[in-house]
Amino acid sequence: MQRIDGYKMRICKFTRLILSISLLLSFLNSSPALSRKEKPRERINSILRHIDDLWRGDSSYAVFKVQVKTAHYTRTMKMKGWSKGKDKSLVRITAPLKEKGTATLRSGNNIYTYLPRTDRTIRLTSGMMMGSWMGSHFTNDDLVKESRLEDDYYADISFEGIRNNRNIIEITLTPKPYAAVVWGKVALTLLADGYIQLTEIFYDEDMTISRTFTFTWLKQIAGALRPTVMRVIPADRPEEFTELVYEELKFNIKIKDGFFSISNLKRR
Amino acid sequence: MDVTSLAWRNLWRRKRRTLITAFSIGFGMMLAVTFTGTGDYSYTNMINAGADMGLGHITVEALGYNRVPAVSKRLVNASKVREEVLSLPGVADAMTRISGQAIFATARKSIGGMFLAVDPAMETERHNLFIRSIIQGELFSEKNGSGVVIGSGMAKKLGLKPGKKLIYTTTDINGEIVSDIARVRAIFKTGVGDIDGAMVLLPIDSVRSTLNYGRDDATYLSIVLDDYRNTGKIRRVITESIGNQQREVLTWRETQPDLAGIIAMDRWGNYISQILVGLLIAAGILNTLLMSVMERTKEFGMMMAIGMAPRTLFKLVVAESVWMALAGLVIGIIITTPWYLDLYNVGIDFSGSIGDDYSAGGVLIDPVFHIRLCMESIIAILAGLFGLTLVSGLYPAWRWLHGLRRLKV
Amino acid sequence: MNIFKLAYRNVIRSRRRTAVIITAMAFAGFIMILFAALMEGMLMASERNAVTMDVADIQIHAVGYRDDPDLYKRIEHPDQLISALNMAGFTAAPRLYGFALAASGSTSAGVRLRGIDVDLEQTVTQIDRHIMEGKWLDNDDLHGVVIGKKLARTLGVSAGDEVIVVGQASDGSMANDLYFVRGILKSVGSEIDSRAFFITDEAFRELMVIYKGAHEIAVMRPGRQGSLEKATAQVSGLAPDYEVLNWRQLRPVIARIMDMADTQLLVMILIVYIAVAMVVLNAMLMGVFERIHEFGIMKAIGVTPLQIVMLIYIETMLQTLCAALPALTAGWFVAGHFQKHGIDLSGTASGASFGGVAIDPILYAHASSDAVMTPVVFLIVIAMLSVIYPAVKAALIEPVKAINYR
Repeated sequence: MQRIDGYKMRICKFTRLILSISLLLSFLNSSPALSRKEKPRERINSILRHIDDLWRGDSSYAVFKVQVKTAHYTRTMKMKGWSKGKDKSLVRITAPLKEKGTATLRSGNNIYTYLPRTDRTIRLTSGMMMGSWMGSHFTNDDLVKESRLEDDYYADISFEGIRNNRNIIEITLTPKPYAAVVWGKVALTLLADGYIQLTEIFYDEDMTISRTFTFTWLKQIAGALRPTVMRVIPADRPEEFTELVYEELKFNIKIKDGFFSISNLKRR
Repeated sequence: MDVTSLAWRNLWRRKRRTLITAFSIGFGMMLAVTFTGTGDYSYTNMINAGADMGLGHITVEALGYNRVPAVSKRLVNASKVREEVLSLPGVADAMTRISGQAIFATARKSIGGMFLAVDPAMETERHNLFIRSIIQGELFSEKNGSGVVIGSGMAKKLGLKPGKKLIYTTTDINGEIVSDIARVRAIFKTGVGDIDGAMVLLPIDSVRSTLNYGRDDATYLSIVLDDYRNTGKIRRVITESIGNQQREVLTWRETQPDLAGIIAMDRWGNYISQILVGLLIAAGILNTLLMSVMERTKEFGMMMAIGMAPRTLFKLVVAESVWMALAGLVIGIIITTPWYLDLYNVGIDFSGSIGDDYSAGGVLIDPVFHIRLCMESIIAILAGLFGLTLVSGLYPAWRWLHGLRRLKV
Repeated sequence: MNIFKLAYRNVIRSRRRTAVIITAMAFAGFIMILFAALMEGMLMASERNAVTMDVADIQIHAVGYRDDPDLYKRIEHPDQLISALNMAGFTAAPRLYGFALAASGSTSAGVRLRGIDVDLEQTVTQIDRHIMEGKWLDNDDLHGVVIGKKLARTLGVSAGDEVIVVGQASDGSMANDLYFVRGILKSVGSEIDSRAFFITDEAFRELMVIYKGAHEIAVMRPGRQGSLEKATAQVSGLAPDYEVLNWRQLRPVIARIMDMADTQLLVMILIVYIAVAMVVLNAMLMGVFERIHEFGIMKAIGVTPLQIVMLIYIETMLQTLCAALPALTAGWFVAGHFQKHGIDLSGTASGASFGGVAIDPILYAHASSDAVMTPVVFLIVIAMLSVIYPAVKAALIEPVKAINYR
């Protein structure tokens, strides 16, 4: 499962993480010598390694809708996205008409955007990184940083049990000391049954909530039960949100590296 | 005939007149000292402050960087250049630095700004305005660590305190976007809003690796001199020593043209007023000495009658103007010295009318005006006034003598 | 006895002394007039750069806009407000602002977009005349833009080149369009030189999807005359829901610098005139001593001390006026010449700035009535002050001693 955008990334990654944990758990259950509480460091490390193994070579295709509501505007866009490996992705807007054909290519640390109206491709500069992506509550930086989530954080299970009448597992991600991330910590909450994501909360360095992702609308898609709607809510403006809705999703599609090129950006 | 003592006595026959003239010379001295001294002080300060803001008195950088700065334009083998430069006389210090633009972000907010990457081992308070202005915390001690020093304005906007983290994003040498983390070690406050809100200090090796620079690459070498007045000379020496096709050796006039412009204009204004005052004083002296010669026509006539040569009379008049000059200088020194000492030590505080963030040519100006006069200026002023008086005295003497030759007493 | 006639004859009598006094005063007066005119010209140019090029007399914003500029904090009905201002005698122009990225070839830079109402803007500022290369904006050329000098250099463009602008429009979509550099401005100040990107208001509205309102209204007093405070109060009255500030409040540093410069000029004039005063004092004093015998006789025949003082004063006045006239004429002529042609200092100073505002290296004098008259008035005052001592001395002469004085 590959990242197409921030949301997808998280779904995929953490779903994988969960799967790995559950795999490990089942493994653990059959080996009484290694209990859950012993050597937690080793356990997480092996989980992460496991995830990494699941990653390589994967590709994906998705069709999704993005809805943004802010104090000043509400907009809805439709997009198609392809991804391959950790750092290649291409997203193209298919609606509304005014922005149809706008495409963003991510290749490693470079982001290029094709603007059909002027028929020009610009390369994103560092100055634009913290700017919002397509007017949403995501930043361009989010697009780049997502693939490095596992490089940048330590993962720990911080809670397992019943909360709000549901059996959940909470994993806390703490940034590594040299990771270039602004967050203080990230708390991911999953349903224990099936390891389905519920929420992902980003905290600033003072441990105040900065933004919240919620995952809803479970559906069978691309061979598994997944949440198809992700909403991000900024903590300082809770009446605003950005919502991604997956309409189509396929994994392990056949796609060449050459697809992710600047010349390919222009095609409609 | 003792011309000298006679001249002296003649001068004091008209006490009032002599005193007034001598006083006007003294006044001229006080003016010259004040104008030149405060000017020198301000300019020196501004130039040195400008130098401490990053570029130094002389800067060695990649060709074309000054005109259009870019990440790709860098100075290679920076440490070798530095070694060479440090061995030259007149160079107080040389620091390799990297400079660039970046976005600085916390979870709350992000703003644009500039960074100056330095090696703490090379930096001193004396030659680095930012370090000098630190109000909280201390400069990082390692050149490859994750420390950062930010301005008070930025600290406020991003809600940062010592110990908190800052993520900076910039473009590396290949045009790729790169980010790194740094923790606030200190906060500085220069008083200039733009600087306090947008400038940070980072460790140079960390930035080198973030930008994918070579191990010995830098943006420029900042060279600080013992005395900024040697800039032209030392620049030539440096160019001969380490100049090549890819490098430029620039003076502060070229790297900070606005500053140079303001100083040049102010200097001109100063010169013109001093020349003007000088001319007026000369006119006064001329008039006085001429009068004194004219009204003693009878007297001189009598002296010649008893056998004094005209040339001796001429010497007498010259001696009188010499004495006048000396008297003027003495009075000048008497009235100027306490004034000078006061300005030197206490200065005039304009901060009431100027306020804290007054800048000229892009450099912060200290609202307290002091005075500094170097030996050359002192000698120039004394010699100038002396010469002025002498010349003003010579003319009447000469004319009178000339006139006398055609006249019978 | 006609004092005037006597004074006149006295003055004529000792030609050399008179010549010295008159020359000194005339010369000093002339130079001071020139100085004042140049200084005023320089101040006017700076003020123009700072104020009339950009800030204008007064600005109106939505409350909170300046602290946190936002596409959405706008003045709602700028047309109405502008009509009201016009009726009160002011000229006003609406402006739109936004932040965006401008890119050309492979370089890009963050810029501040400025949507200008071409017709109204020229009634308020003079920026349309400050073009270095190319032309100012035109409503018929929606894709023509004008940028600052430093920005042009950073982007590596000159008139005619293409620039793409990318930003976020008010509806959240990605605003982008192509423009052509129509003109490049001369140096105005650090902000405008490196970040200003002027486009027509129509182009701005279309790009950023803002069809109503304005971010700022710049207001100018008619003929730039009248009290700034009163004007500010008046405009506040017309726009009670908005924040109204004048340029002194918006640019306090520049205001301070201007004030200081005025003081500096006066100090300069004073100092030079003190030197003049000494010349005059010395000369008049010598004149009195030369004529001690005469004064003694005058007093003996019944001339009052007051009349003697008046005599000396009139003598001085005659000489001063004789000096003032040529000083005025010469000063006015030469200053006038420099007003047209300017002194080119660009050899010594290719650029200069004070408090963030550019100073043009070509200094133009401005021979205003102030610049010309102040030095003359001061001259007269100083002359009057410097003869107090000689006049008093002459008045208090004891006739007997004086007649016997040798």
